[in-house]
Amino acid sequence: MDIKEIKAVIDLMRKNSLTEFEYEKDGTKIRIRRGPDGEPQVFASSPSLIPTPAVLPIPTGLPLPVTAPTPSPTAPAATQEKLPSINSPMVGTFYSSPAPDAPPYVTVGSVVNAETVVCIIEAMKVMNEIKAEMSGTITEILAESGKPVEFGKPLFRIKPA
Amino acid sequence: MFDKILIANRGEIALRVIRACKDMGIRTLAVYSEPDHDSLHVQAADEAICIGPGPSPQSYLKIDRIISAAEVGDVDAIHPGYGFLSENAHFAEVCQSCNIRFIGPSPESIRRMGDKSLARENARKAGVPIPPGSDGPVQTEQEAIKAAKKIGYPVMIKAVAGGGGKGMRPAHNDVSLVKGFLAARMEAEKAFGNPDVYLEKYIEEPHHIEFQILGDKRGKIVHLGERDCSIQRRHQKLLEESPSPLMDSDLRKKMGRAAVKLAEAVHYENAGTMEFLVDGNGNYYFLEMNTRIQVEHPVTEEVYGIDLVKEQIKIAAGERIPSEFENLRPQRHAIEFRINAEDPAMDFRPCPGTINLYYPPGGIGIRMDSHLYGGYAIPPFYDSMIGKLIAVGPDRATALARMQRALDETIIRGVKTTIPLGQRIVRDQDFRRGKYSTHFLERFFEKKVQAAS
Repeated sequence: MDIKEIKAVIDLMRKNSLTEFEYEKDGTKIRIRRGPDGEPQVFASSPSLIPTPAVLPIPTGLPLPVTAPTPSPTAPAATQEKLPSINSPMVGTFYSSPAPDAPPYVTVGSVVNAETVVCIIEAMKVMNEIKAEMSGTITEILAESGKPVEFGKPLFRIKPA
Repeated sequence: MFDKILIANRGEIALRVIRACKDMGIRTLAVYSEPDHDSLHVQAADEAICIGPGPSPQSYLKIDRIISAAEVGDVDAIHPGYGFLSENAHFAEVCQSCNIRFIGPSPESIRRMGDKSLARENARKAGVPIPPGSDGPVQTEQEAIKAAKKIGYPVMIKAVAGGGGKGMRPAHNDVSLVKGFLAARMEAEKAFGNPDVYLEKYIEEPHHIEFQILGDKRGKIVHLGERDCSIQRRHQKLLEESPSPLMDSDLRKKMGRAAVKLAEAVHYENAGTMEFLVDGNGNYYFLEMNTRIQVEHPVTEEVYGIDLVKEQIKIAAGERIPSEFENLRPQRHAIEFRINAEDPAMDFRPCPGTINLYYPPGGIGIRMDSHLYGGYAIPPFYDSMIGKLIAVGPDRATALARMQRALDETIIRGVKTTIPLGQRIVRDQDFRRGKYSTHFLERFFEKKVQAAS
């Protein structure tokens, strides 16, 4: 598929509120999925493409940015994805609880203020308590406990107070 | 040998290091700033971790995040590239204490040779000629005047913590010396956090000639010939070549021996470069040492058929420098032109932007080291170099002809570049005859202005 065909497919998907499209031919496979915020994500694999990073995958394998049309989400799930997120201010390992057997700092529905500790990010053997930095209710937990996170990675979805 | 290396850099040099790692079967971890998300080095690496927003002090210079990324990624070694943290002794120390191999010299070597006036002192002790100068920094105007009288005008005022051509200004008499001395101290404090300046004799019509050094953990040091980097604009190199048109095998032997002696005296390990000023009479003077791999390393690679980045990795992993490296003769001639995203018509103002067409040159004897691709958006936070074009041939005339052909063939659309300037330089009669000094570009621009009027 060339870029024109891909753009045409994305347009068709948007017009018909489709969320997923997959195409395979001669060893080349393309999957286009409308992401949480309605933006299309293109996954392509072919033997000669530069492999995507393993630890923290970048959604598109192509070096060229795909210009996406602005979608008008109608599904109720879409409104949640427009909420702000608490992002990681550092590089390290995310932990949702202060200890392996302890309950998590926050769960979905937890009410937090700016000073509330929401998680720990461990870096160089130092456990850093991460604060919410805003008031609101946690609606989604986006990071997995024990897994590495990079700078800017969304950790929690929050509905501001 | 290392299993996995983190590349603490970006752009073309990050891609260069990743390529060497791939050649050696070593896995790679790239770190990147948010605007570099779509950068080629990020895509070429096996893994990538975002370490901050655009501005370097919040990303590529963030030692804690880079070390965290190294730990999260479980790497054995870090290659710092050039610029950024490559000559930061503290960073090298942090790597050491975290049991991560720093691919470069020891923190002590970086300190000893990174301080410009300390380096001169080491050179003097090793019997390597240095330009007559003040013995260490001058602290007052009176000291400066006294030192200048002893050295003899004209002199150059230089920042002790400077480098890369920054923090230097000439003085031709006491009046300009005092003015320059005070201004230089202020600039140095702002740019390097250290106001100390020293004085050096200002050598007329010099060639800037540097020697590539390699040292291993057993203390063996070799040199891999010279690079002539006299074509500079405001002390920023634009074009480099090897062998130097000024060099003959006797002078190369003498200077090579001096470079090795100095590196041995400071127990230098890994890749480094000794910079010299050479006048028209074969007199050479040590200027400074760069304790890292340099931008123009491909010139030496092509002339001697050696992969310098691979050698850096091998040395850091404990391997010996092969004995064949001791008596190498230049096999070919190589010229490198740095392509910058700058507008020559607007005093070389950097122009970041999006590349909408990229056609790199090719064919026999052409090498392009660049992270460009069609659609790539050059971020505004970093230096303006977008590629290095290297032309190689059995002799200078062939390399020159190929460089001319390659520059003419290259297409980069979407930003202004210095390619048109390169095209004019390679057609200049003086340059073609190998007759140039560090004043070449200055005069070249004057010629153009005169021709236009």
